[in-house]
Parts: sequence; C-alpha cells; structure tokens
Amino acid sequence: MLGEEFKLWWIRLWSLTLKELLQLSRDGFLIIAIVYMFTLDIWLSGNVHLELHRATLIVRDADHSEVSRELIANFRYPYFKLGGEVFDEREGIWMLDRNEAIVLLDIPENFMRDLRSGRTVDVQVMVDGSNTVIGTLASNYAGRIIGEYGLDRALERIKFHPDKLETVPRVDVRVRVWYNPNQEDFWFLPISELLTVITILGLMLPAAAAVREKERGTIEQLLVSPLTPAQIMIPKVVSMTLVVIVGTAFSLFGVIKGVFGIPVKGNLGFFFLTVALYTVAVSGMGLFISTFTRNLAQVAMLVLVVAMPVVLLSGAWTPPEAMPVWLRRAIHLSPLYYFIEMSYGILLRGAGFGALWDSFLGLSLLGSISFVFGAYRFRRQFR
Amino acid sequence: MNIERILAIAHKEWREIVRDRFFLALAFVVPTVMLLVFGYGLILDVENIPFCVVDYDKTPLSRDYAYRFIGSRYFNFKGEVEHEQKLRSLFERSQIRFALIIPPNFERDLRAGRSVTVQSLIDGVFPFRATTSKGYVLAMNTAFNGELLTDYFSKHVGIPPDQAEKLAQPVNIQLRYLYNQELRSTWSVAAVMIMFVLMVSPPFLTAMGIVREKESGSIYNIYCSTVTRTEFLLGKLTPYVIISTINSLILWALSVFLFGAPFKGDPIFFFFASVVYVVCTTGIGLLVSVMVRTQVAAMMITVVLTVVPAVLYSGLLIPISSMEPMGQFQAHLFPAMYFTDIALGSFLKGVGIKELWGKVVALAIYAAILWAISFMLFSKRPKS
Repeated sequence: MLGEEFKLWWIRLWSLTLKELLQLSRDGFLIIAIVYMFTLDIWLSGNVHLELHRATLIVRDADHSEVSRELIANFRYPYFKLGGEVFDEREGIWMLDRNEAIVLLDIPENFMRDLRSGRTVDVQVMVDGSNTVIGTLASNYAGRIIGEYGLDRALERIKFHPDKLETVPRVDVRVRVWYNPNQEDFWFLPISELLTVITILGLMLPAAAAVREKERGTIEQLLVSPLTPAQIMIPKVVSMTLVVIVGTAFSLFGVIKGVFGIPVKGNLGFFFLTVALYTVAVSGMGLFISTFTRNLAQVAMLVLVVAMPVVLLSGAWTPPEAMPVWLRRAIHLSPLYYFIEMSYGILLRGAGFGALWDSFLGLSLLGSISFVFGAYRFRRQFR
Repeated sequence: MNIERILAIAHKEWREIVRDRFFLALAFVVPTVMLLVFGYGLILDVENIPFCVVDYDKTPLSRDYAYRFIGSRYFNFKGEVEHEQKLRSLFERSQIRFALIIPPNFERDLRAGRSVTVQSLIDGVFPFRATTSKGYVLAMNTAFNGELLTDYFSKHVGIPPDQAEKLAQPVNIQLRYLYNQELRSTWSVAAVMIMFVLMVSPPFLTAMGIVREKESGSIYNIYCSTVTRTEFLLGKLTPYVIISTINSLILWALSVFLFGAPFKGDPIFFFFASVVYVVCTTGIGLLVSVMVRTQVAAMMITVVLTVVPAVLYSGLLIPISSMEPMGQFQAHLFPAMYFTDIALGSFLKGVGIKELWGKVVALAIYAAILWAISFMLFSKRPKS
C-alpha cells in the first residue's frame, strides 16, 4: 500500500515538473531571453578589458627634443595610446574635461639640456581621477615608465655601460601570475557573467512561477487538487534548476570553452553539483520573496533589490579584501560568495573538494537554511 | 491627441500604483537601497591584498625589503611561510593573493654589487586585481632600486648621499589627480551609481505596466475605448516618469549630502539631463512591455537589456575609450555611457552644457527612437 502511495507521489511530482517546463517552453520571448543570457550575453562580456588598455594620453611637449620624444615613445600600446599633442595646459584640461583623454603628460622646456647637465627635472603628469580604478592604474604605469626611464638616464650619467649591469646592486622582480598567466581578462569576465546569470535566473524563475499562480488565480486549482504544498513547490524548483543546469552546460562548453578557449581545469561533475546546489539555494530565496508579494511587478522590484547587491558585492566584480570590515563579514551570508570561490577554484585553479570543503560546507548550510525557510513560508500561505 | 484623456489614463495608472502600497513603497525604496549599498560597499580600490613572505635570507636587508610590502596599505601581511611548497594550498583556498619569495644570499649579493632576482607570485583569477598588484610590486621595487643605486653611487663614485640621490633619480615625477585629488572612490561611485540605478529601476517599474494589462485582460477596456494608442501610452507612462524623476532628486541628494560627493556643475542642467535620461530608460521598459506577452518574459528581458550594459558598457568599470572597437560599438548602443559622462562631468569635473550638450542630444535621440518603435509596435487590434 505504501508503495502505491509512494509511486503516486512521484508521478504527481513528475507531472507538475513537466507542466512547469511546458509552460516555460511556450513563452517564446522568455526562451529567447534565457538563451540570450547563456550565450550572447556571456560572449559580449568577454569583449571588455578590465585593466589599463589604450588609455588615451595627450602630451604637452615644450622641449621638442629627441630626449623628450624618447620618453613619450615609452608610453605605448597596450597600456597607452597617444591622443595627440596640445600646446598649453588649458587646452589639455579642456580635453580631459570632455573625456577625450585620461592622462596629460607635461614635459618642461629645456628638458634635454637640464637632463644632460645633471640637474633633476620635474615632469608633470595629470591623471583624470573621476574613475578611480583607471586613475590608479594609469598613474601606476606612468610612474613606472618615467621611473625606469630615469634609472636608465642615471646609469648613462655615470657613463655606465649596459653590459656591466651585473655589477650594480639591483633587485629584479620576476612576477609570475598563476592560474591565468597572461592575465587575459576574457577568462575572468565571462565566468563572472555566467555566475551572475545563474543567480538572476535562479532567483527570478521560481519566484515568478510561484507568484504567477497567485496572480492568475490558478493557485485555487492547485489548492483543491490532492497535492501537498511540497508537491507544488518542489517541481517549480526542480524544473528551473534543470533549465539553469542545461543553460550552464551550454555556455560552458559552447561559449567559455568553445569560443574563448578558456582551459577548464577541474572536475566538471563537481562543478555541476555545485551549480545545482547553488541554484536550489537561490530558489529558496526566490520562493521566500514570492511569499511576500502578490504580483509580478512586486517580485521584479524585490528581486532587483536583493539580487543587485548580492551580485555586485559578493566578489564577482570587486575584490572582497577591499571592502569595509562589516561588509566583508556580511558577504559570508551570501551564497554567491561561496559559489564564486568554488567556481573559480574548480574552473581555473583546478582545485578539488579538499581545498574547497569549507566553501562547500558554507554553501550547503546557507542553501539548506534558505531553502527550508523559503519552503516554510511557502507552505504557510496555504493555511 | 486629447490632453484630458491622457490625464485620465495617467490618473487611473496613478491610482493603481498608489493602491498597491507595497509596490509604491518599493518604487522609492529600491533605488535608495541600491545607492546606499553600493555607496558603502562598492569600493573599487585595490587595497589590503592578503599576502605572505618566504624569506630564505633572513637578514636585515631582506627584512627591510619585505617590510616595504608589509607596511604598505596596499598589502595585508598574513605571516611568514617557511617554504614555498606551502604556498599552493594557501592560494587555492584564497587565503592569499600574492606571495613574495626572497632568495638566500639576498643581502650578500646586493652588498657585493650583484643583482638579485626576487620571485613574486600573483593570483591571476581576478585580472584587474592581478595587474594592479603587479603595478604596486614593480613600483615598490623601483623605489627600492633607486635607494640601492643612491647608496652605491655615494660609496663607489665618492659623492655625498644627497648629491648621489640627485644623480640616481634624474627625472622627478609630479603626479596630480584632477577632479578627485585624493582619489576617493566613494565620490566617483556615488556619481556613477546615479547612472546605474536610473538605468535599472525605471525600466523595471515600467516593464510590467502594459504586459500586466495584457495578461490580465484589462487591456480590452482600452482596445474598445476611444483612447488612441498615443494617448494610452503617454498617459500610462507619465506616473512612472514622475516617480523616476523624484527618485533622481533623492539619489542626487543622497550622493551629495550622505556620501559627500562634490557637485561642481550646474544643478539645473543636471536635472534637465536626468529627466531626459529617465525618459530614455523608461522607454526601454515601454519597448519591452509592448513586445512581450507575459510578465515573466518582460522581467527577464529587462534584466538582459539593462544590467549588463549598466555594468560593463557604461564606463562604470572601464572607460569606453579603452575598449576594442567592438566593445565601443556596443557601448554606443546603450544610453548608460552618455549619462556616465554627464554624471561624472557634473559632479566631479564641474562642466556643464557647453561640454556636455552632445550627450544630452544623444540621449534625447535614443529616447525618441525607443518611444517611436514602441508606438509602432503597440496596436489596438491584436492578432488572434
């Protein structure tokens, strides 16, 4: 007898899951949006550079000597591009005002003469500080270029032959970058974008599926059917998780490995397990949101206020180390934080369960709490 | 076009919004919360990079070298490690992002006038962080080398240290940051976040508007009324444009008074530009709403059309001018980029209509196109 009931339970679960998937597949625009998010959107994000790249430099060269031209020539692609020459500072600042340049290099008169006669020469560099990231990077690189140029001139002054460089005390730094040796940022952004897409879909689809029934009144039909709240809820989560997993596989193999050729190092089974776990965790949050709302307009606004901070502050876009302490603590409550750790760990560093067990534990714990809580609130609506 | 009918529709829409108290509250709460969270949380400076040192030399000079990194605010010292073999697991567990390996005989070789190679390992997973860290490492190393050279000059050429310093550092760099002298990221973030919030929240408010009526069937009241489609759409959107305009004022006030971002530009011009921008982003919501049939689809498409451009193609993280031609082309397709220039220009640069009129015109054209397409797509005679 128990076996029959058990079988019936599964059949109901299965048919409702099928119903959710069917409903989804009949909404053409929704399908287009989901496909777009997993493919083109990921591809678009790979075309953006997150480092100093072709920052426009303008020069006021009052010296016009071979030495000043040599210095200018050191500012080159890929970090800088020459945006032209101006004749006074006002003209340069006008260009910075209009966002036509980022750096203004000002070389004084008699630059060559003073340098050759052993004096110290001041070179002025003005950097647009309105974008602090680019401002920092640009001044870093400009400082380094001018510093190295100065060092070469210093060695020249004491008539030092470059072949004898070995006999000057000097520390060379050999910088080795692990996991992404050429620092190709198109490795980072597509993955980060994929994680964002998973978050948004995982949050929105189940929440929308739950509220839609309320708004349309079809929830009444479900209530009079012999279904338990769990049987109504689980199919919504399972079907949307399936959609997310299929989409993730698509973009991982098609775009991330296929188009960009990013080497995936770790265990893919482990990665997909993580994706499933995370999607269920986020679905719990989605269901939780759905219990507060009566219509989809409310869902949209609530998802926005929950998803945006979670996405932008969990480390997908900005380093957690730089955040204020309270926020660094708070992001431990965000499942995305663990998900990001694990995804980059598995995909780029090839880390296994041994290195990631604490993140896995954190994600499982947060996931079960949010899911159980969401389920509890969802059930309570039926009373 | 009949003004009275537009007002009637607007009034009806307004009533509907006001009666959904929760939605009304969210319409004002969401933008404010977003600005607060990002203003406090989105710190783009690369600081406190966790790192550790492997010092095989353990001499005063090697400690002096390591201390330059330990004492810097850019790095956060996590301790010394005995052997570099232990580094890999620290990297894998994200405990550190950078490691410095000082070879044995560091001091002896330098004192003897030989060059020494120091290894530094950087976690490359976050490329922006990696390049910035690399920049810091190289800059500190250059400074250390400058001092070594000064020392060497004064000893071997036989001149006093201050003269040797002049000789060793012939080119002096005077760095000035314009517009944001102390490079406070909160200032820029607060200004740019107005762009971000106004790019995302008005479309979300609006996108549901017309689809909701389509989905619930109440749109048939409009289909069979004397209201023309222009009147309907204008009336329908007026409340949302007003809400978003009020929001733009709230956001401006928060940026200036709470985050202390300096507003150097022309407030009237900025207000006018914000209204144009809001009309434009509301237009995105309108277009989505007219296109699709269900609210779920409207939600997803709005996300796709607003969030990614607002983060990547707006100049929030990277200036448009340093993108590849392809990326620049994409950026020009979205309105976010124009308003970033307007916001940063008005807040930090203190420029006004003379420099920025082109961007406002671009936004206006963008808005006109969006609204025109929506008007064409919306029909009072639905198929089937």
